[in-house]
Amino acid sequence: MPSSNVSEQKPFSFKLVLLALFAYSLVHLSPALPGASTSSFIQNLMGPQSVLAQDDEDEEDEEEGGDEEGGGEETGGEAAEGDEAAAEEDENAYLYDIGPAKDIKPTKELKDGGGYTFPGLGNRKATWGAAQLHILFASFILGCPMFVVIMEVMGARRTQGVRKAIILANVFMGVLTGVIIGIIGEIIVNIHHGVLYGMWACAFAALIVSFLNYFHLCMNTKISCIVGGVVGAFFAYLLVPTDHTTVQAIALAVLNGAVGGFLSTAIMFAEADYKFERLAHEITKVIGFCYSFTALTGGLFLFIMMVAYKDFISYLVTAYPILFMIGYPTLFILETIVLYIYVYSWDPLNKTNKKGRHIVLGVILNILGLSLLCALDGPATFMQTPPKPYDALFTTMTEWDRIATMTWMPLNYHRLVGNGTFGGFMVGVISAYMYLWSKDPKEKEYYDWVGYMGNFIGVLFMIPLPAMGYIFVREIYQYDATIGMYIMSDRESMFMLVQGLLIGTMFTASNIYMWVSMKRIENAHRFFPAMKLGFILIVIAATIWFTPRRFFATMMPEPGMNPDMVLPDNLAFLALMISKNTAAFALVTVTLINYIFYTISTRTGKIGWGKINPLGPYILIFMGFTDIWLMSWMGTIRELSRMNWHIYKVFKDVTPEKYAPTLAESGVFVTGVVWTFFIIMTAIIWLGIKYPKTKKTKTEDAPAAAPQMAE
Amino acid sequence: MKNLPKILIICAAVGAFGYGVGKFFSMSPPIMAGAMAGLTLIYGILLTKQHRLPKEKSFLKNIMTKVPLVATIAVILWFGAGHFGFPYWWQIEFVSFSVIGMIFFIILDLKSMKVERGPGDSIIRLIGTYALPSALFITITAQLPQFNPEHELAKLNKKPVTTFVAGPEAIAAGREIFESNKCFNCHKVFWEGNSDRGPNLGTKQIGLYSADYIKEQIVDPRKKQSPGFEDPKSVKAMPTYYGEDLNEAELLSLVSYLKTMRDPTHIPVEGKFPDQWTWWDDKQIVEEGKLVFEGKEPETEGLNCAVCHGADGIPMMTGAFDFRNPNNPDTKKMPDHMDVTLKDFPDALYYKRVTRGVDETPMAPWGTIFPHLYLWKAEAYSRTFHDPLDKRTAKKPVPPIPTKEEIEGWKKDGLFLDPLL
Repeated sequence: MPSSNVSEQKPFSFKLVLLALFAYSLVHLSPALPGASTSSFIQNLMGPQSVLAQDDEDEEDEEEGGDEEGGGEETGGEAAEGDEAAAEEDENAYLYDIGPAKDIKPTKELKDGGGYTFPGLGNRKATWGAAQLHILFASFILGCPMFVVIMEVMGARRTQGVRKAIILANVFMGVLTGVIIGIIGEIIVNIHHGVLYGMWACAFAALIVSFLNYFHLCMNTKISCIVGGVVGAFFAYLLVPTDHTTVQAIALAVLNGAVGGFLSTAIMFAEADYKFERLAHEITKVIGFCYSFTALTGGLFLFIMMVAYKDFISYLVTAYPILFMIGYPTLFILETIVLYIYVYSWDPLNKTNKKGRHIVLGVILNILGLSLLCALDGPATFMQTPPKPYDALFTTMTEWDRIATMTWMPLNYHRLVGNGTFGGFMVGVISAYMYLWSKDPKEKEYYDWVGYMGNFIGVLFMIPLPAMGYIFVREIYQYDATIGMYIMSDRESMFMLVQGLLIGTMFTASNIYMWVSMKRIENAHRFFPAMKLGFILIVIAATIWFTPRRFFATMMPEPGMNPDMVLPDNLAFLALMISKNTAAFALVTVTLINYIFYTISTRTGKIGWGKINPLGPYILIFMGFTDIWLMSWMGTIRELSRMNWHIYKVFKDVTPEKYAPTLAESGVFVTGVVWTFFIIMTAIIWLGIKYPKTKKTKTEDAPAAAPQMAE
Repeated sequence: MKNLPKILIICAAVGAFGYGVGKFFSMSPPIMAGAMAGLTLIYGILLTKQHRLPKEKSFLKNIMTKVPLVATIAVILWFGAGHFGFPYWWQIEFVSFSVIGMIFFIILDLKSMKVERGPGDSIIRLIGTYALPSALFITITAQLPQFNPEHELAKLNKKPVTTFVAGPEAIAAGREIFESNKCFNCHKVFWEGNSDRGPNLGTKQIGLYSADYIKEQIVDPRKKQSPGFEDPKSVKAMPTYYGEDLNEAELLSLVSYLKTMRDPTHIPVEGKFPDQWTWWDDKQIVEEGKLVFEGKEPETEGLNCAVCHGADGIPMMTGAFDFRNPNNPDTKKMPDHMDVTLKDFPDALYYKRVTRGVDETPMAPWGTIFPHLYLWKAEAYSRTFHDPLDKRTAKKPVPPIPTKEEIEGWKKDGLFLDPLL
């Protein structure tokens, strides 16, 4: 007994030492960095508010002092004072000039920041928090259904009805896959209309091959690829509006068609596995809760906007009468109806052997979700890149022009793929929780597998994500390079550096998860030395991605910054896009190679499901947290890139909170938002999946009081 | 190594692919090919080797084996980076990433975690899992360089430029417009700024050009591309919306600021870093300089260097400087006489003698009469008399970028003729 006590105490004391070291490093190691100190660390955490608040106090003091001195002159006459005030008002009129949206007369509330200030946070942060929470829940209800339908299809027995439904699902999948591959082709090989070539080719290949599959006319994978390639290229050639078709474009179309054909055959004839069905069903239970939270946070966001930025929100709504009066409500109502039918018809349709109809419902749910996403992106991108010329916004331009802005489609693509990643990693988080909360070895086995699937989908979508971000920023640069420069080289440059670090962290964590997972696969260790080489490359690539041109936070050094912290000209190439792209390419390639090793291992060796290193589930949670933090961070970057404009160059933010918050302040705030989201999500996962299971187990464990009714 | 031939074939294929990638993206094809083939070879060797089951190590053992190696790498990185001229922030970054790499490898080799003994363990580990990235991200965002929002607020609250009156205020306003429109993102101004996407407007001496020309370059940048920036990417780089974004007063202020970009000590520099050249070696400039020298340039009507110095370099007037003789000394008629011969004339001396003239000779202070842009061109041409362009084996070295102190010194020493400079 005494010896076991000792052995139990040891790790505890070791943990304490680690904790103390961590605390020490937080407080004491950071000052080792030049210019930083313990106080500056704390000051950085607190952000500029304290500085500004101090200044406000100073100003107030000065004003009070001024009043005292000038107290004797108060008899000067109210009229004169009024004239002076009016003159001063005119002189400062430029401060309240909101730009081309001049028809909106700035009210006193607008100038003062909304009249009422949200207690504790301020109006801007209240809006920021509500908006981000809303987007996170919305991403869940858009990302997870994508995951769920894929899983449901994989888990469904291939009856005739299911095979019919798979034709539709395949076309939907073909559109998404085609768009993603098309964009990559557009970016890497500069193929004009690459997205369209990819989309049409993949979608039509999926449609035709699926039809042939349905009639058992095209069951061979190679033939499917050939048929898909030919059919896809033909339709793409017909449908893409262009004067001349290039060889690269046709090659891209053939590739997309082949991919569409291959996937269609693989999905149509995949062996059904009940695990997929169970996974899809469980995730659906959580989606219902998240849908309510999306509505709640959306309402909160809207209410805050109506108080804090009422002039602006009125203006924005005016720009979209049809969308706000008809589009959104219709889509919301339809999605709600379809979602609830989808959730509650699961078991009834299964029991009546109508799985195909349920899959069709899932596809419709996704189409509605994506339509809603695209509709919401209209005003969001209008705020960022309103169509030019601005004076024609409400004269010759239609509502559609105001929706289809330059960055509308790129943001749609970016959010679509981002939500796929989000869905995958959130499933990883759910699996990790359930793995930890399960005692039954069979349950552990199952949730270990769910984690594998979540990570697989998350990584699969994460690989093209940099390309989607690239195309979005490219459009921003083309619209107005000033916004791009503000993001990449000015006040947001350090924000982007953090983004690079986070992406590096994501890829690293994902690769560590694969490593940890492979340890429970027989014979997988044969890949470990090669994987270690990959890990060295990852560290080098992450270092290059992180390397900035300058280590001060603005384009030109401002007072208090060190102007010497700039890379010399001969080394500047390390900070250029060409180096960053090479680093990104290396990260993606190494991850892909490791994933190939992982997949080969799972096919050639026995997998010890449920025997994963206990570190595994925590890595999944870490990845989920990092992904969502990164997503919130990118949202912050996008919002801040409008600078002091609600609608760039159309409607100026004239409130006192029009400045960009510091990196430190944003870091703390985003962490707060993500913690809030995860606390709610933990409760939802428990309520949606764990609690019903506990209840069920208890009921099953209870002694049978009466004979069961025959079914 | 029975698989070696196969591996080599794959390496060759990957190398060829790398070469193609390098060529397509203009990224040094041989290096790309070599790097990709080399990595494939290492991957191939590592995959074909027989491996034992890796031994997991305790945290302490991990530390003991990895710290010496990483410490060595960190020292090499620190001094290596210093040697190549990386400022200390980058040295810190590289060393930090070597430590991150170590942590990475410690996790890989670490013994499997113990299974949770109860819900308490899970909760502690869960909180730790959330606390770790939170602390990490908060620390990183707090410790990276920050800006003070007050500076942004001050800029946002500044009264917009609506009127233009030539003078120092307009120049200062122009500088702010240059900054707020993020021109520094692509253009350096001498030592300021940190990008070479566009020409360095200081060393190019954009201030030598006429106000109309500069304005046209801002409003319609595609009309004439700066030499060395003709590649498709550079052609599209300069936004075309400044003509709409800036009002007339702002444009004029900006031009006033740009007009100050002059260097009385060096001839203008053209081209994109690192492929730059001076006007001494610019064929086009030399041809234009010939027109000025021979009195055929309409913009410098009344100026004809050939009248005294000779169209073919043979002086037409007694005492006129003979540009054919590289060993001709500097004139002794000037108090700032330098003990150098023509071939070693510093740019500043060339410029001074032409713009300020030579006392007691017909060499007038041409700089007070004609735009200096043309005088520099004429000087570039005059050099060809003793150093013909087609016989040069090497270009004149591009001078170092003047420092802030040097630029302030020009003004203090009165090197400019223009009082506004």
